[in-house]
Amino acid sequence: MHKAVAAPELSGTSNQAAEVPIDWMERLRPYLYVAPAMLFFALFFFFPIGYVIYLSFFDWSLLNLEEMEWVGLGNFTALMAEEDFWQVLGNTLIYTVVTVGLGILLSFMLALWLNRKAKVYGIVQAAVFSPHIVSLVSIAMLWMWLMDPQYGLLNAILEMVGLPGYSWLSDTKSAMVSLILVSIWKGVGYNTLVFIAGMQSIPKDIYEAADLDHSPWWRTLTRITIPMLSPTMFFLLVINTVSSFQVFDTIYIMTQGGPVNSTNMLVFYIYEQGMDFYNGGAASAASVILLAMVGFLTWLHFRLMEKRVHYR
Amino acid sequence: MARVVLNQVTKSFANQQVVKGINLLIPDGSFTVLVGPSGCGKSTTLRMIAGLESATGGEILIGDQTVNQLPPGKRDVAMVFQNYALYPTMNVYDNIAYGLRNRGTSKKECQVLVEEIAEIVGLTQYLKRKPSQLSGGQRQRVALARAMVKKPKVFLMDEPLSNLDAKLRNQMRVELTSLHKQLGSTFIYVTHDQVEAMTMGDQIVVMSEGNIMQVAAPLELYQEPDNLFVAQFIGSPAMNIVKDEENSAVVWGFRPEKAQLLAESAAPASSIEQRVLRGTVISREILGAESLCHVETEKGRIVVKVDTEISIQMGTHVQVIVDAANIYEFDRATGKRIGKGVGRVGQHALAGGMV
Amino acid sequence: MLQVGRTAWKTVEWVLLAAVGLVFVFPFLWMFLTAFKTMPEVYQFPPTWWPESWQFENFRIAWSSGPFVTYVMNSILVAGGILILQFLIAVPAAYAFARYRFPGRNLLFGLSLIALMIPSQVIFLPVYVEMSHWGLVNTLWSLILPFGASAFGIFLLRQAFMQVPDEVIEAARLDSASEWKIMWTIMVPMAKPVLVTFGLFSFIYHWNDYFWPLIMTNSDSVRTLPIGISMLKAAEGGKQWNVIMAGNMILVLPILVVFFFAQRHIISAFVYQSK
Repeated sequence: MHKAVAAPELSGTSNQAAEVPIDWMERLRPYLYVAPAMLFFALFFFFPIGYVIYLSFFDWSLLNLEEMEWVGLGNFTALMAEEDFWQVLGNTLIYTVVTVGLGILLSFMLALWLNRKAKVYGIVQAAVFSPHIVSLVSIAMLWMWLMDPQYGLLNAILEMVGLPGYSWLSDTKSAMVSLILVSIWKGVGYNTLVFIAGMQSIPKDIYEAADLDHSPWWRTLTRITIPMLSPTMFFLLVINTVSSFQVFDTIYIMTQGGPVNSTNMLVFYIYEQGMDFYNGGAASAASVILLAMVGFLTWLHFRLMEKRVHYR
Repeated sequence: MARVVLNQVTKSFANQQVVKGINLLIPDGSFTVLVGPSGCGKSTTLRMIAGLESATGGEILIGDQTVNQLPPGKRDVAMVFQNYALYPTMNVYDNIAYGLRNRGTSKKECQVLVEEIAEIVGLTQYLKRKPSQLSGGQRQRVALARAMVKKPKVFLMDEPLSNLDAKLRNQMRVELTSLHKQLGSTFIYVTHDQVEAMTMGDQIVVMSEGNIMQVAAPLELYQEPDNLFVAQFIGSPAMNIVKDEENSAVVWGFRPEKAQLLAESAAPASSIEQRVLRGTVISREILGAESLCHVETEKGRIVVKVDTEISIQMGTHVQVIVDAANIYEFDRATGKRIGKGVGRVGQHALAGGMV
Repeated sequence: MLQVGRTAWKTVEWVLLAAVGLVFVFPFLWMFLTAFKTMPEVYQFPPTWWPESWQFENFRIAWSSGPFVTYVMNSILVAGGILILQFLIAVPAAYAFARYRFPGRNLLFGLSLIALMIPSQVIFLPVYVEMSHWGLVNTLWSLILPFGASAFGIFLLRQAFMQVPDEVIEAARLDSASEWKIMWTIMVPMAKPVLVTFGLFSFIYHWNDYFWPLIMTNSDSVRTLPIGISMLKAAEGGKQWNVIMAGNMILVLPILVVFFFAQRHIISAFVYQSK
């Protein structure tokens, strides 16, 4: 049998023996691991943010990057004085409000309806979602064809039910409506599925308790479902707004901002100014304005994400 | 194979010291069990030996080498975890071979070693399976095999049986003990279960609040506890503790199985020195062949273990009689045992013979 | 009575479900049908539903109207290159964020989250200027490098790595595995479902991307498929819808086929961001 004894005294050892010399490799390791990611973020994200702000104070052009002239806030005041730019901002705003508002409302109703177990609902969910994963190029061209005023399917259907044809993309009044329609058609599936995911994460026992209390369906909806979904709704609001600010592909392919500037919006404006008209100053100033808008939304999102804890 | 020495080892998390300067010699080839209630520092101690936690102070030696600076992989130890911690994406073979490959063992040698170990633990036909396709007991064997294949100097086990059902646990207990005999390496085993500790260990280290309370062989721990904590922790049900009337600095105790229950009127028949407590039976738990009688005495509630065949009515007035030889005395302030070994040694044979 | 009402209601619901499904699926079907029609049939009003004769010729015309082999190769190189780069960069970063505590961790992770929120359209101009300074405009590098670090990928992988039990990692440490080795041989295989999810998301996103290649490229040798398809419209004068739709299908069909087979994965890949 082993006899327990105190550990033998070891010469020259004391508490200092355990004081580990700083292992630099171990200390540095996490930084080394995140370094490549941070390098890429710095090069292609944070530096460009600073750079575009810097560029917005100069008159410059992509044709000759060596010659840049300091104009201070000149680019911004020039933009503000430009009627076209105000129209671009207005267009962006209208497009965003309608796309986001209608898109979220529609998808919320779809989600309420389609959030069921049976297989049909799953199939319809997948169908509704499918445009979201298809390239906007394809969608833009497909809808141009559907919206063709003379031979397009949409006008054919209108005619079939005895309605007059619509001018779609060729008229200043209807072009914006057409773009919004395409955008909602593409985005509604994503929103619906996010809503459904949100609904499924609401604990079932809350609904069971409401049932036991004989809560009518509309009260269950307004008192339980909607409040519990408010973080999801807010997330979608931010994501959709940010992506509506970004709208470009459909404009570039379907309308080129026309007719008569009626569908010209921010990113397209920046592209035109910077890449087509070589007016770097206006393009970078408009970029800064867009950046401020997106930045504000991001900040708002983070602020409200902290509050989201209340519901969990 | 090697002994393990802890010299003034401390461990602090944030500002809390969880291991408070312990000294311990774990002899080469021993099966040492660290036991104590949760939060006593036993797992932390084991993890410091493994190198998964660094010691805040003091020195840890494996063999003759100070290992404080060595990473876990270089300490030549192997560990079996409570949740097995198998690599879920690898099959059994790869789980066992992973450590060998990391040490640069050749493919051929790997295969020989893995198959040999698989044979010993009875996993040969499961080598191609993923851990998720195995039963709890089989996973336990994989964890063991993974430790054994490295032929480490020291095996560390952190409550390895606590996730098994009772029957399998008993079986694995026996298997682990015989495995220890077979391998002859040093085992260090952590558990909170005193039965596991007593049945498996040849040296038991009782810990409490970051300190070592006693280091002893199982029998000695039961018969000669150093202090109140060990006396109450080892043995089930726990030792009865009673305040001494004459000397307020002392408390004394006796084990429930070392007391007799007599009717109130009966005269103690023995000539041996005895202590008597009077009280009333308030409840009775039947464990099987034996029962526990809870007796309310003038000095507090006492538990006595009696033969189940003896019929006892609730509310009966009784005498609890304890031979002086079975009495332990402790310093009330420090909990230290008073007069350890005095007058008890000769009683062992007798005590064993009495019911 | 109640039974009849229920059945009627069920029928109405089925009709509505079919209608909603058609609104989203029929345009794709129309694309498919148009792609097989002849020119005169396309310009027939009211249109025919079913092609009178199936014109596979349209695909040949679309395919030979530009260097489509190059476009497809470039698309695969770009989407694949981005995916590999994102994987190599996100794994160590996610591992560090998930398993180490180090000063500045929260700050660096917060910065990554900001990168998750702000889209590339906002900063394309300065990145273009940057690329032209480096002489990378109109190369595949300008399409790949800006997307090398994926905040979404880092975020997703970090979640997965945090769920790996500590004990598994400790077991690997005792098995003499280096941190680097633990990362690639233990953590990455355990995060496989998340990696598949992320891979699908990233590949589809960049396969579809139109904006970035439009900005960064101006010659056929580095253009990707979406640009090639959009140029079909200009090349064919905006009139030959059958050929344009045939070309469109080259871009859409692979994605829809993958979607058909990996529906669950793809939906969760895209919807995950909301959590």
